[in-house]
Amino acid sequence: MSAAPALLAATIDHLARFAPFDAMSPEDLAWLVERLKLGYYAKGEIILAPAHGEVDRLFIIKQGVVQGEQAAKGGAWLELHEGESFPLGALLSKRAAISTFRAQTDVFCYELAATDFEALLKRSAPFHDFCTRRIAALLAQSQKSVQAQYVFTVSEQQSLDSPLASLTRRRPVTCTADTPLRQALETMRDERIGSIVVVDAADRPIGLFTVRDLIGRVVLPGLALDTPMRAVMTPDPVTLPASARAFEAALAMARHGFRHILLVDGGKLVGVVSEKDLFTLQRVGVTQLSASIRAATDLDSLKHCAADIFQLGHNMMAQGVAPEQLTQILTTLNDLLTQRVIELECNAAEVCRHSFCWLAFGSEGRMEQTLSTDQDNGIVFSLRPGETADAVRADLLPVAERINQALDACGFPLCKGQIMAMNPKWCLSLDEWKAKFADWIDAGDPEALLNASIFFDFRPLLGQTELADTLRQWLLGKTVATPRFLHQMAANALRNRPPLGLVRDFVVASEGEHAHTLDLKLNGSTPFVDAARVFALATGVEATGTAQRLRAAGPRLNIPPAEIEAWISAFYFIQLLRLRNQHAKHEAGLPMDNRINPDHLNDLDRRILKEAFRQARKVQARLALDYRI
Amino acid sequence: MFLARLLHKPPALDAVQRQRLAAWDALPEPDLATPHAQARYVVVDVESTGLDIKRDRLIAIGACAVQAGRIDLAQSFEVILRQEAVSARDNILVHGIGEQRQREGLPPTEALLAFLDYAGKAPFIAYHAVFDQTMIERALARHLGLRCRRQWLDLAYVMPALRPDLIGSHKSLDDWTALYGISNYARHSAMADALATAQLWLVALNLASTRNLDSYKALQTEARAERWLNRAY
Repeated sequence: MSAAPALLAATIDHLARFAPFDAMSPEDLAWLVERLKLGYYAKGEIILAPAHGEVDRLFIIKQGVVQGEQAAKGGAWLELHEGESFPLGALLSKRAAISTFRAQTDVFCYELAATDFEALLKRSAPFHDFCTRRIAALLAQSQKSVQAQYVFTVSEQQSLDSPLASLTRRRPVTCTADTPLRQALETMRDERIGSIVVVDAADRPIGLFTVRDLIGRVVLPGLALDTPMRAVMTPDPVTLPASARAFEAALAMARHGFRHILLVDGGKLVGVVSEKDLFTLQRVGVTQLSASIRAATDLDSLKHCAADIFQLGHNMMAQGVAPEQLTQILTTLNDLLTQRVIELECNAAEVCRHSFCWLAFGSEGRMEQTLSTDQDNGIVFSLRPGETADAVRADLLPVAERINQALDACGFPLCKGQIMAMNPKWCLSLDEWKAKFADWIDAGDPEALLNASIFFDFRPLLGQTELADTLRQWLLGKTVATPRFLHQMAANALRNRPPLGLVRDFVVASEGEHAHTLDLKLNGSTPFVDAARVFALATGVEATGTAQRLRAAGPRLNIPPAEIEAWISAFYFIQLLRLRNQHAKHEAGLPMDNRINPDHLNDLDRRILKEAFRQARKVQARLALDYRI
Repeated sequence: MFLARLLHKPPALDAVQRQRLAAWDALPEPDLATPHAQARYVVVDVESTGLDIKRDRLIAIGACAVQAGRIDLAQSFEVILRQEAVSARDNILVHGIGEQRQREGLPPTEALLAFLDYAGKAPFIAYHAVFDQTMIERALARHLGLRCRRQWLDLAYVMPALRPDLIGSHKSLDDWTALYGISNYARHSAMADALATAQLWLVALNLASTRNLDSYKALQTEARAERWLNRAY
């Protein structure tokens, strides 16, 4: 007796509205549906509990809401809706459920026997993918929808993810090093172009000449027009492979201050990309901005630059630039601005006889700045024979204060916690920093751990960067050798749990100023940041960025790369939501913060956020396992 | 005696069909006091040419099997009976089985034998069971020459007995399914209505367990009491 085809078809149609069933083949879906049983659970009834022993079936919610509870987490932490499956983790690892699952409404669940679940994992790649790396699969969907959303707002805008080769509009115009200047200029006039590439016999780019070079290099020095190009070109132009993405070109332009990037394939010139090609519709260009910052000679022009960086961040946000790229560009520009502020103030104060290094801490140290960020900085200096730390500090502090004030004027508010170079506590000699770090590592009290979480992400911004490098090497030597401290750091990190929970899908404040919202920074990104820091300090990884730390520490801790990438995707998704939220609040004229109301997210984002929080729990589980907490 | 149950005007069954009927007849009757957890139930919904119990004919049967308190999707059943005369156009709009499909159905003898093979002697559950019971029994008599009294339980009486707080406010299948959030993928199709009814039966089993009504028999008693009180319909 075969089952009624209409019922099976209706069940398939229903399941196919939800991931991962929407990606499964019709044959596999039919195979699945024929093995489903339908059960009912009255409101309040326990569907599955740890005491039931090894899980014997998969539950897929047909209708109703199921709530997950863990006594250790103080009750409910998770809410599951129509189309969602549980308990995947317990089934995959063939153990009892960790949580108690309770029907929050009248619930009907499809149930699949554990043996059939195993068989389906083997049959269906999409199902297997979903169960083992749900986050990555959902993210791909989300990115598609983000792009679709912005298509309406920014027409013709190039995605910064495009390959550069797709942006070049014409064959590059070239000349040789021996070409006389007159001939090159005639070519440029005839072709109506602003730049010409100088190539060698093998078509490899060796130089670049632009009309902007004309005044400074040709007209004013009074050069003859029969001068060979080799004498006026900018040698060793910046090149990128044609397969590189647009945002890499934007970064290269910002870092080096060039407006053109040459594209090469196997060393040969294949194209030229100009800043104009990259940001045709953008009001403020990355290169233009970096050039303005470099050229700024007073605080007022830097203030304008800062406002432009801010605008650029919002423009790129509106374009749907990925958070990894966006934060890199913002950090690069903010670094440039800070460096220029320091240079200007130092020149004015003439204190550069001291060798010191400006340090960035916190999110700036990790290169994870968002659109709203305040200052976290300090100074490390070295002592010449005969100098005392107090004397050098007395020289540096007034300058540091002016720098802090100038940054504040540029839109980086002063740090409420006084973590700034102008605070004598954070303007220290190398030996004083070492002593301070050593104290924290030895003490391990809450304050020391909090400080470690901010200061151990230090990154040199300007000056004697070798001082910072020495400090980093010393710190890693010390932390790797102090497991007790790492254990305390890990335990501290685990106090902050991802807010999966009760009201809708998430635990949110029920009343007061923050009613119905959750903090994406504290509860969302911090678990990843904290865990990555512990992993890095434990394995001697020098990187300060969370993603870089995870990627570098993963192999040393034998964490599978797929798991690391899932964590990183989750982390960046939360960062993306933070950025989008800040952007939206700014557009609405509201103060920017990290709080969102999860009810205001679309279904897909809400689900991904839930998955991202699950990944955060996985990172924490790993930390707990490593440190037996 | 089996043959004694046959009509005086026996329909033309071939040898294989007779054998199938005999095999069904030989099945043991279920013990209605069996606890729900061990029992197998068949939840039924039928579509007919109209609502006249005496005149109208059976068009389709949809059924779900409930075992160990779960609906087994693989053990669902749906059959359309081939009609000699196609049903009135206005009713087609309700049950959605058009002329073409009515003509494409199984010959009634085969359709009903398939239903007996599927159901075995499991006790039946339906909503407004009198209608489903009459339609099926009349068809069995007419096409198989089978006169039998099966066990039927009517959810239209069971539900008010289990939820006395809702008597009066919940009368139709739609009222009850809405209360428990039971969706129906195609109302007025026998299969979809049978599934919705079976889901309501799962709810009834759940409510029954809290009141120690742990067998079909116990629920039959409740339903009869409810019927005497005439609180449903």
